[in-house]
Amino acid sequence: MILSRRVVISAMNAVCFKRSFATASSPLVPVQLPSRKEAHLWYVVPDEVKSSALLHNYLDILSPSEKENVFHKRGEQLQKAALLARVLVRTTIARYQINGQVDPRSLKFKKNIHGKPELEWNDDQCQCAPSLQFNISHTSSLILCGVTVDSLIGVDLEEKQRKLKNNILAFARRYFTPHEVKFLSSISDPVVQQQYFVKLWTLKESYVKALGKGFSGLPFRMFTIQFRTAEKGNSCPSGETNNKGEIIVKSLEDVNSFSSNWQFALLELAGSHYAAICMEKDEAVEGEVPTPMKLTVRKTIPYVRDELISGPDAFVISGLT
Amino acid sequence: MATFTATPARASFALKPVQVPVCKISNVRSVSLPVGSRSFPSLKARRFQVSCAAKKETVDKVCEIVRKQLALPADAVVNGESRISDLGADSLDTVEIVMAIEETFDITVEEDGAQTISSVQNAADLIEELLKKKGA
Repeated sequence: MILSRRVVISAMNAVCFKRSFATASSPLVPVQLPSRKEAHLWYVVPDEVKSSALLHNYLDILSPSEKENVFHKRGEQLQKAALLARVLVRTTIARYQINGQVDPRSLKFKKNIHGKPELEWNDDQCQCAPSLQFNISHTSSLILCGVTVDSLIGVDLEEKQRKLKNNILAFARRYFTPHEVKFLSSISDPVVQQQYFVKLWTLKESYVKALGKGFSGLPFRMFTIQFRTAEKGNSCPSGETNNKGEIIVKSLEDVNSFSSNWQFALLELAGSHYAAICMEKDEAVEGEVPTPMKLTVRKTIPYVRDELISGPDAFVISGLT
Repeated sequence: MATFTATPARASFALKPVQVPVCKISNVRSVSLPVGSRSFPSLKARRFQVSCAAKKETVDKVCEIVRKQLALPADAVVNGESRISDLGADSLDTVEIVMAIEETFDITVEEDGAQTISSVQNAADLIEELLKKKGA
């Protein structure tokens, strides 16, 4: 999925950052809705957001309770990441306007029974496409938001170098499935093993987040993630690059079944992170070959700059055959 | 009904009915203070919490686990009220903390228990509850 790099920059005049900047004319570049088999990914690199004036204006976009959550975070870095996460969600959703502009501040959110955030809208707010689904994930150094139309989506982000305090196999034996433990145990290179642990973790997280259940709602040992290479039918540690094999999930409650209505993609993002995307599959029409997930990745600093991204900053490792 | 004594300096606070569950454990239906309990809440201007079950020792051990997992600086304040996500724990940190708790206290925390461990106090309460069940 290597596209020729195109950069779309919309620069905001710096003097427009006044209190009402969120409602200034065309402040956020509007975007076409994703198609039904497509997920849009938007990410922010907190280190690139340096202006305290900008951050101050971002705070204005948040609801009172979101602001409070930000201020409860311990330390500037955590507060900044929490702030940017809410800003990314609100501004991203606001871009998908179908009838006139949507003020990101007007968006309302609720949580499902397991705590997954969802959009809540009343009849007055029909400007925003009502079937938008979104999910967010962040580390201290990257914030990611995935958006689809109608399909449930879960995204999870983790630093590639993330080290566990525990031994990887001990952790996997406690929380993963025997199949996954066997898979990890078969990797002799500790660096590759650590990378595959992180990949498995993010993929599993993305699945439970897509389902809206989270780790507590669906224990990780109840389902197995498998990497399948294109040539072989069995899962095996695939090479780091150029292997776009399939990622599948199997429920342990019914070992012979696949959860075939979910598709996955694993990306390397910004050179530093693994991003796992899990999306509900579009129902295949009879006779039609099911098409793989399409991803469009954009890097953004809301109200400042948007950039369409292709490899090497958004590099698909596997899952999109 | 929880009873406690206010320290003289704070006796002027109006005591509001407790709306927050005293122990945030889903399977606990009634809460009773141990007779002769030594642990009394520290009253604060806005709200109060009663530690009905968790010993200070348990809370301290959990604080230590959290500090280690999140590699917090020595001067970082971590106490019963600390919410681990506010300290910087993401979902992987939380699970590692649960695993360390299991090893330290020799208990098993079911995955759905992991979501109750939002604060150090909640974790300590859950640990005591599980230890009690184990001992029974």
